[in-house]
Amino acid sequence: MARYILRRILESIPLLIGVSVITFALLMLAPGDPIAFLVPPEQMQSVDRRVLEEQLGLDKPAPVQYVQTMTGLLSGRLRSFRERRPTLEMMGEAMPATVILTLCALAVAFALALPIAIISAVRPYSLIDHVATVTSLLGVSLPNFWFALVLIFIFTDQLGWLPASGIRPVGVDGYPVGVIWRYLIMPTIVMALSILPPLVRYARSSLLDVLSQDYIRVARSKGLSEPVVLIKHALRNSLIPVATVLGLLLPFLLGGSVIVETIFAVPGVGMLAVTSALTRDYPVVMTTTMIASALVVVSNLLTDVSYALLDPRIRHD
Amino acid sequence: MTERAQAVREEGEGRPVARKRPGPRERFLRNRRAIAGAVILVAFVAMSLFAPAVAPYRSDEQNFLDRLAPPGARHVMGADHLGRDVFSRTVWAGRVSLSIGLLSTLLTMLLGVTAGTAAGYFGGWTDTLLMRLVDMILAVPLFFLAVAFLALYGPSIPGLIFILGAASWPPSARLVRAEFLRLKVADFVTAARALGARDLAIIVRHILPNVVPVIVISATLRVGIAILAEAGLSYLGLGVQPPTPSWGNIVADGRVYLRTAWWVSLFPGAFVLLSVMAVNLVGDGLRDAFDPRMRV
Repeated sequence: MARYILRRILESIPLLIGVSVITFALLMLAPGDPIAFLVPPEQMQSVDRRVLEEQLGLDKPAPVQYVQTMTGLLSGRLRSFRERRPTLEMMGEAMPATVILTLCALAVAFALALPIAIISAVRPYSLIDHVATVTSLLGVSLPNFWFALVLIFIFTDQLGWLPASGIRPVGVDGYPVGVIWRYLIMPTIVMALSILPPLVRYARSSLLDVLSQDYIRVARSKGLSEPVVLIKHALRNSLIPVATVLGLLLPFLLGGSVIVETIFAVPGVGMLAVTSALTRDYPVVMTTTMIASALVVVSNLLTDVSYALLDPRIRHD
Repeated sequence: MTERAQAVREEGEGRPVARKRPGPRERFLRNRRAIAGAVILVAFVAMSLFAPAVAPYRSDEQNFLDRLAPPGARHVMGADHLGRDVFSRTVWAGRVSLSIGLLSTLLTMLLGVTAGTAAGYFGGWTDTLLMRLVDMILAVPLFFLAVAFLALYGPSIPGLIFILGAASWPPSARLVRAEFLRLKVADFVTAARALGARDLAIIVRHILPNVVPVIVISATLRVGIAILAEAGLSYLGLGVQPPTPSWGNIVADGRVYLRTAWWVSLFPGAFVLLSVMAVNLVGDGLRDAFDPRMRV
């Protein structure tokens, strides 16, 4: 197992280097001028471009810039063009909001998906099963930005119950649960609904597979009660494919955070990615992209490892 | 899985399981949900094709006296902040949004099938190289890539089609590759090779026809994802640029007036929902018709 994990970690290094090269090439080849976003047009004449380019490292050839950017990123010294402070510091400020939101969405989606899946697997073609199917269809077809606006219209504009933007009121620091929960409700619902369908589908189909196996029949014929059979025997094994889908959902959730955070003005990683791309803040674009990719790679690895932990029959060596 | 549940049920009810299975076409036509999806989809395509006849106004026709007019006799879905008819704009936008969805999916499938074929059939370093590229693209969340690309290179319709196509081919490539790995060792392929068929002939004439169902199903489901992505990016201002209407940018137009003029955002978004739902119903129906256990 340890050897397997080590091998996977080693394999992911060239992968991430590849991603960084592609992203950097994308930045270098882009038309337009990052300096134009830093200096107001009326002052362009009086500023010495060369000094500024030298300051930002833009005067060097592309391969040198690439190496400087990557070593800077890894050592934490890489600075934003616009704010002139370490990009990792900006990332650190944006991370908590995204992590909180993602975890809330996962928790809500899971809490809903498991009971729905159990009911529709135990009673296929029942009313609840049909309702679950229709909800799933709705979930995969719903444009999340539009659903967010519908929620804002109802709960902010009409009822005035929930705040529509930000993660905390002005003047509050940190993420005190008692304050931010009202800000989290709508973004959490939007994100949770988008991942609910795949979760339910996987959980339902793997439960159905497990329920038709011999050891379940054995458990039932031993006279165990149905809840014990379902929860102790069937659920645990059927969670294995669900664990895989969790790993697949992370890139989806991160991508979704771009839209959800923009709409609800949540100061997270998605919003940072959008504003840095729009202002050509290359170091920040590199940082957000690389950290997002690293997260995806790590979550894929964790998925495969959790496979082995949940099912002792799976061996990786 | 549905099939299995069905089989279990029928066994339980003591009915004979063996019955002549109807072909894919009959199974699709018997699937009411799939037919409903197909009907909605045809309606959307017809609406877009005949937009000049369906839309009562031109997409950019302004009538300042009707600024933010609520839905009524003159404007069935109301009017926006420039007095433009929301229904007409939404109908015209259908052309733009559906075309982008279709064209980017075409690009996705072109890249995905080519890469999947090469990787699965030839194997070796071709396979290794292509699959590493697939891993790299899959490691970057689609929206991070698309937002960065469109912000840096300027939002445009060709740019949108390109990035959606270029960023979403990996899953299709993997599917096609898996099919090729399975089929290239099948007896009929070995027989064809023994008869002297060349690689190209084996790929095009013998293997690809068997992969068509997988390609069609995954393409159908991809169209839905592409329509949603286009709408989201256009909503962010990184996709189709006004005054050209797209479902996403009309929703964005209405964002500021949400409290007073909800109709501007509501209707185009509902069109996105309905069209994607129709596409997904057809895609699911096709999957069930060909092979319900298919993991697409």
